[in-house]
Amino acid sequence: MIATLGSLSILAALGSAMWIVGAALRHRTTGDAASLRTPVAMLGVSAFTAFVLLETAILTHDFSIAYVADNTALSTPTLFLFAAAWAALEGSIVLWGLMLALFTVLVWRRLGDRDPLGVAALGVMGAVTIFWFGLMATVGNPFAVCTEVVGGVCQAASAWPLADAVAPVDGLGPNPLLQNHILMAVHPPMLYIGYVGLTVPFAFAIAALMRRDVGRSWLDRSHRWTLVAWMFLTFGIVLGGWWSYEVLGWGGYWAWDPVENAAFLPWLTATAFLHSAVVQRRRGMLQAWNFLLVIATFSLTILGTFLTRSGVIASVHAFTQSSIGPILLTFLGIVVVGSLGLFAWRARDVSQAPRLDALSSREGYILANNLLLTVFTFAVLFGTMYPLIVESFSGDEVAVGRPFYDRAAVPLSLLLVLFMGFGAVAPWRVATREVMWRRLRFPMAAGSVAAAIVVLLGVSSLGVIIAIGLAAFVIVAIVERLVTVVRARPEGVIAAMRTVVGNDAGYWGGQLAHVGVALMAISLATTSGLAIRESVTIDQGQTAVVGSYCLRYVEPFAFSEPNREVSGVTVEVLDRSCSDVLKELGPRINAYPGTSQPIGTPSVWTGLIDDVYLGIAGGNATSVQLNVFIFPLQWLLWVGGLVVVAGAALALLGKPSRRTRASDGRASVAHAGRTDVDVPSTELRGTDG
Amino acid sequence: MAERPNPQKGSPGTGERTRSIVAITVSVAALLVVVIGLVSTPSAPATLDQRVDSLAASIKCPFCNGESLAESASGVAADYRALIAERIESGATDEEIRSEFAANFGEAFILDSSGGPWSIALWVLPIAVLIAGVVTILSLRRSGATSGQDERSPTTIAEQEVGRT
Repeated sequence: MIATLGSLSILAALGSAMWIVGAALRHRTTGDAASLRTPVAMLGVSAFTAFVLLETAILTHDFSIAYVADNTALSTPTLFLFAAAWAALEGSIVLWGLMLALFTVLVWRRLGDRDPLGVAALGVMGAVTIFWFGLMATVGNPFAVCTEVVGGVCQAASAWPLADAVAPVDGLGPNPLLQNHILMAVHPPMLYIGYVGLTVPFAFAIAALMRRDVGRSWLDRSHRWTLVAWMFLTFGIVLGGWWSYEVLGWGGYWAWDPVENAAFLPWLTATAFLHSAVVQRRRGMLQAWNFLLVIATFSLTILGTFLTRSGVIASVHAFTQSSIGPILLTFLGIVVVGSLGLFAWRARDVSQAPRLDALSSREGYILANNLLLTVFTFAVLFGTMYPLIVESFSGDEVAVGRPFYDRAAVPLSLLLVLFMGFGAVAPWRVATREVMWRRLRFPMAAGSVAAAIVVLLGVSSLGVIIAIGLAAFVIVAIVERLVTVVRARPEGVIAAMRTVVGNDAGYWGGQLAHVGVALMAISLATTSGLAIRESVTIDQGQTAVVGSYCLRYVEPFAFSEPNREVSGVTVEVLDRSCSDVLKELGPRINAYPGTSQPIGTPSVWTGLIDDVYLGIAGGNATSVQLNVFIFPLQWLLWVGGLVVVAGAALALLGKPSRRTRASDGRASVAHAGRTDVDVPSTELRGTDG
Repeated sequence: MAERPNPQKGSPGTGERTRSIVAITVSVAALLVVVIGLVSTPSAPATLDQRVDSLAASIKCPFCNGESLAESASGVAADYRALIAERIESGATDEEIRSEFAANFGEAFILDSSGGPWSIALWVLPIAVLIAGVVTILSLRRSGATSGQDERSPTTIAEQEVGRT
């Protein structure tokens, strides 16, 4: 029953997407938004229904559906049952389709009454939606029914619920890694919102190129939608790092794993676009470049999906490997060739860019940021693709790992942080040496003092010293800027701050995000440069000293949960002299039935400065072998990530929330006028974004 | 912020000069501390754990789905880390240990791509992008402009006036 209804809802969504494309084509000249109301609503309802039906099948243990039988079990806790909807390929495409439908509805709601560009963009989104629901309707039907059960396992499935379904008594349960932490219920949906949201700016770019309407409107709208998607993508990536840290137990949050790279690549190009779009809005430059960035960002999301879902690259994340690889690759080819072809065809309509007045200017520093982000993108992209390329040309198997990425990423990231400081204070057009010096001398002194303090504290890692110096430089530059602008106003501090930030939330949201990035840079440096990793064996009741902490092995423990057997050890963290107990930790090992390899779950204590991170490496009746990690300022990474997300939210709140007019000229004028209102003349154009 | 420029003083005066001198002095003194601190700290030779870590990070764990020996929490990886520690203690260099692993498992298990005929491409391409980007940005400049100091078009002068706080 559920299988039939689910398959029908997927067909209904596919039909609605086709209807959207058809209606967008028919009303392309009038831009009549109302004509799209029915198909957009239908898409939303049918995609939501498909998702609800999948969840229902999972929660009611309908094992006649192959996906449910393969990815859940009677013993799976409810939270992880819910999350099992995106634990494997077919289910995750349903979530993907739901997000796409949601964005379609949101974009439609913001259309003007007569909005040819918006209608065309919805048409492009409809075409993308056809692909994803087409995938579900053909090779990846999540509602495929189980037709043959051998040994309690679903052995054969029929894509369409026409055959007689049989159900195994119990399912296989999710991959143990996916039912080990609550974050698994949150991190993938956040990433998906970000990933799928990047379809919207792409749709507007393609619509603008098709309509030869390459002015400000597509850019303003793409900018805003990119910011929405980017905020969720950032949040998803940070949550993913946190999950990795809390669950995988190797004491890290980022491994340059292909799936991490797949999320990071579009993040890099979307970040570049968020900056370069501002340059076009303020200075009219980079029009062609902005089109390319948006096209590249969307293409990278498809490439990332291909890399991670086709199984071409072995990865801890490649939980799902299937035959949809060639289909995704074909879609990627169509997207890349089609969009670049369209861009080349319309190249003459994309107007000639005004030139740079001076390298030292806001736009100059943003260009430097774009260049660094582009190089970063290429480095990560080639690193990820390199083993594939080499193997296909020479047959040699090679691997690219952490050493390469770190060597490329560290200098690029440090330079990016440095330019964040310059860009924050540089006026548009020309930033003379006098102005830059006046605005940066105090941050420079502060950064130097911060570096000196770090050295005096006994740190000798050059990376850490530079990172902290640069981070202090950036944060002080931004704070000093805010203080200067706020003090120049007549009203009280709080009121002035509200006015200043409210008048240019885009700029100040960006600066808040920069503060977050600077905080993350500090943590990235300290947790990699100053971390202590040791493996110690402790007898029960005895202690061992690691770094400035003492660990006492108290006792082992073991208990059963419905879905797993838990065994672990109680370990006290004490101060160095082994006298005061600071915290009791319980690293453990979870054994899931049906899987050979038990999953170690680390136990982490976050103190004021250090994280003490324990994982079980082995042991016997009387002793335990622990992997002990001490990560200074680890918490700053998560806090910094949240600050970045808050910055994006601030920037979003400050932008006009009313419908963008179909005749985009007016909206653009409103934008241009808004940023300078109420800024004192001494600061006019000197500071704002 | 002590260094806040005074809006009442439009032109660089004595206050400006003092602030600049203070900023330079503080920066130079602090950076001196950094340099002296770094030079006077004897660089301790890498401990056994550090060497094991850095080696393990550059070798892929067999049977571990793409994780390195340092990252994998599996027993296999722990055994190989112990093996690395043994080899280090018996006096083997990092390169020797890496090539032993390469000989046993294949080049594909060495994550550090510093060797190999193809690996140069990994670096050539991003660097080529960097150079192309720098050239493009330089070519974007208005003709005749050489640096920020030479901009004297009417609009830019106005910009500078308002930019001066």
